[in-house]
Amino acid sequence: MKMDDLSLSGPDNTKLEALVHDIYSELVEDACLGLCFEVHRAVKQGCFFLDEMDQESMKEFEIVDKPGVDIFGQVYNQWKNKECECPNCKRLIAASRFAPHLEKCLGMGRNSSRIANRRLATNNNMSKSESDQEDNDDLNDNDWSYGAEKKAKKRKSDKNQTSPRRSKSLKHKNGELSSGASAEPYKYNYSVGINYETLGPEELRSLLTTCGVISEHTKKMCTRSQRCPQHTDEQRKAVRVFLLGPSALSLPNADAAVESDGYSVLDGQGLMSRLQWEDSPENSPTDSASSKSSTNHLDSRKPKKKKSAPAPFSGGGGDGPQGSGCQGSGCQGGGGGSSCSQGNIGSSNKKKRPKLPTVSIPTLYNDLN
Amino acid sequence: MFPRRCRIMSTDSTMRATINQKLTEMGERDRLKAFLGVKLTECGWKDQIKAHCKEVIKDKGLEHVTVEDLVVEITPKGRALVPDSVKKELLQRIRAFLAQHAT
Repeated sequence: MKMDDLSLSGPDNTKLEALVHDIYSELVEDACLGLCFEVHRAVKQGCFFLDEMDQESMKEFEIVDKPGVDIFGQVYNQWKNKECECPNCKRLIAASRFAPHLEKCLGMGRNSSRIANRRLATNNNMSKSESDQEDNDDLNDNDWSYGAEKKAKKRKSDKNQTSPRRSKSLKHKNGELSSGASAEPYKYNYSVGINYETLGPEELRSLLTTCGVISEHTKKMCTRSQRCPQHTDEQRKAVRVFLLGPSALSLPNADAAVESDGYSVLDGQGLMSRLQWEDSPENSPTDSASSKSSTNHLDSRKPKKKKSAPAPFSGGGGDGPQGSGCQGSGCQGGGGGSSCSQGNIGSSNKKKRPKLPTVSIPTLYNDLN
Repeated sequence: MFPRRCRIMSTDSTMRATINQKLTEMGERDRLKAFLGVKLTECGWKDQIKAHCKEVIKDKGLEHVTVEDLVVEITPKGRALVPDSVKKELLQRIRAFLAQHAT
């Protein structure tokens, strides 16, 4: 049999048509059967009637079409005005500010470490921790330190100075930092000054090199130099008496000298001779008072190495005491020369020299000579 | 020699078998099936039949409905509900295939 022999004649046509229809019917029945199997399987598996539940559940999920509410019935701005309690600092923060606050508070965001480091740096500058002897340097070097701290102060002056976060986050980050307790009293406002409530050797250190006069309205110590035009020497003396006690009053140079640990060689001798010398001149009130203070501070200051301490001993300001010290030890250090025993200190002193007042020096010199 | 008519008549069933075989072998059957499924879904025939199924199931009871029940109830309705356009197009395709491969 050859299929190509077939031709589409009349009767053949019907045959073919019948065949076509048969094939069509077969296809349609296949489709129906497939559907039946599908439905039956779904029924037996229990997933056929999934979209038709009891009326109760249907009501629950009906589409809501009220104004001010989305189709689920939820209000749009519901959480906009809510406040969230921070798990770290326990403060109530606005919802929209919550994420950035958490970033800073937990110290985990992108900029949080930067801010923390900056705060650490300014903290270290402000606090006179035992180990950090460079503070007075920073204070005395008006050029760079003030600028850096003013910058820091400007950024922080906007923030709430008494916010609990400051002390808490500081404690959280800088556990060893001694300024944890004093962080709050410490204002980062250098031009205004340090809060006079600071205690201990740090306070003395800062006091001795800076003007230190306590402002009436802000209760802060002026951190300008000893020659700051806003305050007189009388005020400075009063501040020192007030804060350190009458016996503690002394010229910054004298005290600084006491603190310096360059005196390791001739501590007792140099200091004692200097003290003797200090007793004699009555020219400046600070000097006479300083004699007592020097004695007191002798022991306490010795171990500390203060760069500013030797400042008076370099050329310029405190040549008097230095000279006397040198004389005592046998050195013939004159006015500006650094004492032979304290050569290195003298050189370093020269850096700080310009800040100290020169008023008393000629008088001291006179007495010395 | 067989007369042509006789040949056609006697080879009718054979011819059918051959054509069916060709349909399957060449994949035309599957193509036609897929085409039909798409067309029926498009025109909503499947949803209609499913709705009819639901009624049947509710009548017979969810637990006891069998395939036979469904088939018996649905096939006639399914056949009847196929839209004409779909039917025509399918017939056309089959005819074309036959013309191409049966002569």
